[in-house]
Amino acid sequence: MMASHRLAAFREAGVEFVAGVPCSYLKVFFAGCAELPPTSFLPAVREDHAVAACVGAWLGGRRVLAAMQNSGLGYCLEVLTSLHLMYRIPLPLLVSDRGAPTDYEEHRILGQRTRRLLDLFEIPWRDAVPGQHAAEAHWLVETSEAGAKPAVLLVGKGADV
Amino acid sequence: MTRAEAVALALSLLADEDIVVAADGAISREAYQALDRRRTFYMLGSMGQVASIALGLAMTRLERVVALDGDGNLLMGFGGLALVGGLKPANLYHLVLDNGCYATTGGQPALSRQVDLSAAAVGAGYAWGRRCFSDDHVPAAMASWLAARGPALLDLVVTAADGGGSAPRIPMTPEEMAARVRAALMGE
Repeated sequence: MMASHRLAAFREAGVEFVAGVPCSYLKVFFAGCAELPPTSFLPAVREDHAVAACVGAWLGGRRVLAAMQNSGLGYCLEVLTSLHLMYRIPLPLLVSDRGAPTDYEEHRILGQRTRRLLDLFEIPWRDAVPGQHAAEAHWLVETSEAGAKPAVLLVGKGADV
Repeated sequence: MTRAEAVALALSLLADEDIVVAADGAISREAYQALDRRRTFYMLGSMGQVASIALGLAMTRLERVVALDGDGNLLMGFGGLALVGGLKPANLYHLVLDNGCYATTGGQPALSRQVDLSAAAVGAGYAWGRRCFSDDHVPAAMASWLAARGPALLDLVVTAADGGGSAPRIPMTPEEMAARVRAALMGE
């Protein structure tokens, strides 16, 4: 199996607990997560539950990360606003960036508004670029902790590994 | 038995080190009024996420984690039941204060009179699940629940007559609520 440099970079940046719902753009990352100890990875049934579980793990003292497809951000809006933004809880979010004009129809409507949605809620985001795993992992963890709120790293096709 | 009485009884049975997640709305306010603890997380919103927050705690902590949930709340986040049942944290104890309705919004009926929540929990993989209808049986039911191997869910039928209850809002900011629990759990 191909190693997930992305996951290794987050582990290096101090992440101890990952919860999420897979996306094909993040399949190498999720394959790596499946190899983590059972108390370090929560394979969620829907993205809002993953984000809520990250609140529990953070309260428990862990550094956390949530990972999902950008379609899942819609499910998360209530939790991100009523938990993270209101209680001032940090959350690094690894989110796939689907919805380009060449992508399938089911990804386009929410996908093409992902950045505007994040801007609306003043959630900082950054686009991943190949080969910058360590810098991006540190940026994501530090930005969410410094702001005590969510921050998002958007991962396009092929930027996972 | 009222929801507030059931919340107070459950809290009186817990050890100091136990961690509590109290559902948004009346349950949090009643938990605060009955017994404020540094290790209780009071939810103000995010209905449907009680079990998921408790799961994140149970996976990362060795102490017992007690979720004080509502029936409408659990039904809203029903996938949380699958997560707990599937991942089986042995230290997670789930109590449903089941008044059969959405009490704080005017008492509209919830589907908890048609859906057997404890059977659903066992079907999802909880190690223990029971429903308690009678006030006389509540103390014994709570004792069995907390003595069972987790994850364990007790669906406790309570009266809906008190609506949203009379407990006042909690006099802490959300930031203080979260920071206090995390500090307590990190030994600060």
